[in-house]
Amino acid sequence: MRRTAVAASVLALCAALTATGCSSSNNSTSKKSGGTFTAILTHIDPKAPINPYNQTTNSFRGYNAMMLGWSKNTATDATQFYPAIAKSWDLASGGTKLTVHIQPNAKWSDGKPVTADDLKLSAAVAYAEGGSAFAAIPGTAGGTVDVKVIDDKTVEFDQNSTKPLNTWFSNVMTMYVLPAHIWSTQVPSDIWDTIHTALTGSAAEAKTAQDTITALGKKLISWGPDKDVSAGPFTLSRVTTSEALLTKNANFFDADKIAPSQVVIKNYQDNSSIVNLLLNGQIDGSVYVAVSESQLDKILAVKGNQVVSGASPVQASLAFNESKKPFDNVHVRRGIAYLIDRAQVTKIGESSSGKASPYPSGLTATQIQGWGVDTSSLNAYSVDATKAASEFQQAGMTQSGGKWMLADGTPFTVPIQTTSDFNDWTSGASNVVAQLKAAGVDATMTASSDYTTYLADLAAGKFTVSWWLTALGPSPYNIFQRLYGSANGWKLGAGGGVAHSAPGQGGNWMGEAESSDITGLGTVNPGELTNQLSQVSADQQKQIVAKLAKFTNDQVPAIAMWDYVNQNFINTNHFTKFPPNDSDVLRQPQGVWMQLGFIQAK
Amino acid sequence: MRKLPLRLAGHLVRALVMIWVVATFTFFLIRQMPGDPVAAQYEQLVQQGMSPDGARNATQLTYGFMPTGSTWSQYTHYLWRLLHFDLGRSTQTLGVSASSEVLTGAKWTIGLVLAGILLSFAIGAVLGVIAATRRSSGTGDALTITGSLFHAIPQFVMALVLITVFTVIWPVFPTDGNVDILVDPGFNGPYIASLVSHATLPALAYALSMFGSYLLTMKSSVISVLGDDFVLAAELRGLTRGIRFRYIARNALLPLFTIFALTIGFMFGGAVFIEKAFNYPGMGVTLVNSIGHRDYSTMNATFLLITAAVIVANILADLLYTAIDPRVRRGGTAGA
Amino acid sequence: MATVLETPTGTTPTVTPARQGFWRNLWRVLRRKPTRLAGSLIVALFVAMGVIGPFLYPANLPIDAGNAYAGPSGSHLLGTDFQGTDVLALLVTGSRYVLVAAVIAAACTVVVGTGIGLYAGYRRGGPDSVLMRITDFIITIPGLPLLLVLSTLWKYSNPLTMGLVLGVTGWGSVARAVRSQTLSLRERGFIEAARGLGLSTAHVVRKELLPNVAPYVAMNLLISVTVYIYLEVGLFFLGVLPFNENNWGVMINQAVQNGVTQTGQGLSYLLSPLVAILLLTLGIVLLVDAMDEVFNPRLRED
Repeated sequence: MRRTAVAASVLALCAALTATGCSSSNNSTSKKSGGTFTAILTHIDPKAPINPYNQTTNSFRGYNAMMLGWSKNTATDATQFYPAIAKSWDLASGGTKLTVHIQPNAKWSDGKPVTADDLKLSAAVAYAEGGSAFAAIPGTAGGTVDVKVIDDKTVEFDQNSTKPLNTWFSNVMTMYVLPAHIWSTQVPSDIWDTIHTALTGSAAEAKTAQDTITALGKKLISWGPDKDVSAGPFTLSRVTTSEALLTKNANFFDADKIAPSQVVIKNYQDNSSIVNLLLNGQIDGSVYVAVSESQLDKILAVKGNQVVSGASPVQASLAFNESKKPFDNVHVRRGIAYLIDRAQVTKIGESSSGKASPYPSGLTATQIQGWGVDTSSLNAYSVDATKAASEFQQAGMTQSGGKWMLADGTPFTVPIQTTSDFNDWTSGASNVVAQLKAAGVDATMTASSDYTTYLADLAAGKFTVSWWLTALGPSPYNIFQRLYGSANGWKLGAGGGVAHSAPGQGGNWMGEAESSDITGLGTVNPGELTNQLSQVSADQQKQIVAKLAKFTNDQVPAIAMWDYVNQNFINTNHFTKFPPNDSDVLRQPQGVWMQLGFIQAK
Repeated sequence: MRKLPLRLAGHLVRALVMIWVVATFTFFLIRQMPGDPVAAQYEQLVQQGMSPDGARNATQLTYGFMPTGSTWSQYTHYLWRLLHFDLGRSTQTLGVSASSEVLTGAKWTIGLVLAGILLSFAIGAVLGVIAATRRSSGTGDALTITGSLFHAIPQFVMALVLITVFTVIWPVFPTDGNVDILVDPGFNGPYIASLVSHATLPALAYALSMFGSYLLTMKSSVISVLGDDFVLAAELRGLTRGIRFRYIARNALLPLFTIFALTIGFMFGGAVFIEKAFNYPGMGVTLVNSIGHRDYSTMNATFLLITAAVIVANILADLLYTAIDPRVRRGGTAGA
Repeated sequence: MATVLETPTGTTPTVTPARQGFWRNLWRVLRRKPTRLAGSLIVALFVAMGVIGPFLYPANLPIDAGNAYAGPSGSHLLGTDFQGTDVLALLVTGSRYVLVAAVIAAACTVVVGTGIGLYAGYRRGGPDSVLMRITDFIITIPGLPLLLVLSTLWKYSNPLTMGLVLGVTGWGSVARAVRSQTLSLRERGFIEAARGLGLSTAHVVRKELLPNVAPYVAMNLLISVTVYIYLEVGLFFLGVLPFNENNWGVMINQAVQNGVTQTGQGLSYLLSPLVAILLLTLGIVLLVDAMDEVFNPRLRED
């Protein structure tokens, strides 16, 4: 009796739940007439402040957080921007004076217009929160020294003219614009005096001023207004632990370009939950998601799902720790490069969202093309056991019983390190190990428990061969920083030059020699060259990039495995007019796509 | 039986001492973890496209939230703040208090796991009785083996299977999350329905993986009760089946209640797999994320909350057992 | 073999028959229900797999990049993995780590727990309180979060270390249960008699108490193995453990991350380790069922 009663009530409950489950998921997709755009973004935390500077935030770039402009992420020209809050701009005096004209119709969601005072306050907040162009230390290369209000809709930014950097412009354009009438409650009214003192005052006064600014930064980072006031296409209405709801801002200056009336941003947990959502056709626009071939096929089989891809300035490489013998010998590194079939590693590791790097040169294929690097002088390191053998022999290794031995008779082992969190790195590393073993080189793979531990051990120089992301563009300085920056011992010294630390010190775990002789180039100090990239003109940059590419290709401090493909999934069931493949907006959030006229209602 | 207030006081004192010990232990253990949260944040920002200088500046602020000073002084500060119920600030979401981070997740875990435990208790108890009374036949054996098997199936496997069957192949339940954001929150029908439908699969996954132990315990408990003299006596006295069943059931349920109470205590820490699989924003996910980000305050807070829950559950189990089992009440054989 | 003073077996189900008869009893019980025989065979099979399995395959398992995620076929009985390696080979070579770590963890748990429980229950008084407080502490500390934290501290890619770490977190409940059994055993006559004869503590503990708690301990050992396998695999699945060679948990993690549950391709790669775990658990459960009957004569149904 009891049993059947229990069973019956359970069944009834299940039936009721099924009905509600179905109906609620139907309701959610077409509540309002303008349509709801469902996106997936990043970690959502309802407790996070509506403050774009916080690591976890409820101020979403492109939706309710606006910058002066949206970068086109052009490989060779970091000054290409789409207008955002800034409608137009003039860069003068050798790149040290930027005059910005605000959109005439720009308004906050509460009706007040966006004015030059908002920009001035935003700059003050940027000083406190540590924007890269806004540093309160005097003499910072590429630092902003003054922000002047010219009139209600015009602002002038001035750079440190004694040490200008060509990255300053894009750093200023990516400043967040905050509402002065809301934020002025948190920022003291004399903040600009404090900033000027910090930049120009005497040593003691400047120090006090800097401490004030740092303290302000600490206070501000966790603060956000109770109610969102945004100059962007949307305003935040509601946040739960797994989603954020934004509604259309009628006061947005280009409101008629915006089709959706609501945006739901879902929490990014991990790949498999995103794939499940995609398989249900519930995502209208996603961020970059790495999926396997079979997952890709299944996702695209769902009605409306499509993939829009573009080049991504991110590359996965296997970097050597050259303080561990015998990897300090360039022939050993080259030999290993000749043994690895990068196409196979990419297929198994990254499959659909990566393309094998054609030339290990510190640049992705798109970047090589964009910078016009002459590939005829680059070595593709195609799989060649004979060449590998000759390189190993030049390093003094011998082969015995099919296995390679070092000069002193111990077996040659290549220990590769990866981390458990990143499945593509782990699969790729397994494949590299298998390939090397098949070629007679003993290889092992070890996985760290998580990425943070991996990074800590990596920085401490504990690994021999490890995964490292390279070619992080689009700025060439950023690209080569990954190989010849602080990880390799080159740090910004006083006065804009670089100082090199020995391997094992100052975070130098790559252990590359400070300078090497390259045939055809002479002696090259890659760290210094990289540093110059932030200071010279575009033509000179091109020459330096070519030099560094040749250097990397010759010395192989890291073997590039695959270039990531920026793969965005979209759904055309409710919206149409998405950007095409290789469009320059693909690296921006979908809110930016909407502002530029994409994503129209069906 | 000693007076209840006295026992309670004893429990409380022991509980406070235990909490202090656990807090100290986890404090020092967590500080040993390798990895610099700032470096991890830096790498993540750089990967997302920020320039190295920008990332460096952005992460500078995190330093302001990192604890400074010798380990001992940090410890004394920690204890002092703990007495004021201040669990520190999170470094993941800068500035937000750790306790609010943890409590936000806790309330979701409680609902989910409570539902799962109640469900598994009901299923396990009922099936356990059947398995015990039919133990010589195929049914009994089959039930026992089924119970053990389901108990052996890892939680995450259960979760994955349920996801695949009920959200991909036959989409009747929502894929993930805890509630549909487009529904206005509050005590209205659609909101509650949305909550329930989002919680069904995770609770089911939890229940299916847990009912096995209830089943097996109930079975062996019923078997040993069946062998007890009072049952034989009842049968000889001519009591009807129904009344005898009640006698048996009440005695056999005793061990189950203790498991029940103890499981409630362990629920906070134990639902990680299911929460991760269903993107259910409970405490397990908060914990895993905070470990990945080396967010010391949130980790400490999570450990404390779980420990407090376990201790409270133990106390309740102890009191409960005293209340239901007269043999213990009369101060008989020493329970553990 | 010491003579065990026989006490009336009336209501004390935990008195074991003499040790020479134990194995004969076990064999008789096993033979009674064929399922139990099957269970012990399964367990024996897995033990063999763990011990000699890795020797049956070359150190470098061949890969076949073009044949990834294949289903079962003539040449690959259980299909292939993400780079074309035979799943059966992976299963057999990956068994050792999981089994060794689980056995060591179970052994550690049982040894420490029994030792502490016996000592505390027998001595009572001061040592008892101290040990029980420590046990409470171990029980109260949240196990899974603790393991997550420990996994970053210790690079345990070696099953011995992993087993020790797992085992050290789990002995609390065993200690408590053994202690309560010891406490009740103390009340029995034969302990008094042994003390009266002037036998030392060590002798009493080893020869009188231990055989009586042995049934519980033995069954707990077997069950703990399954619990620890499940825990290990779960942690590998979460992706929070370091590793340097393939094992069942890593296989499941890889399979799920590559979307097997969503696309159905490579299902055998996912299911093989899962079924192996389930099979092993089944075997152990059946074996424990048999042992339960050996130790608990009331359950016998003649």
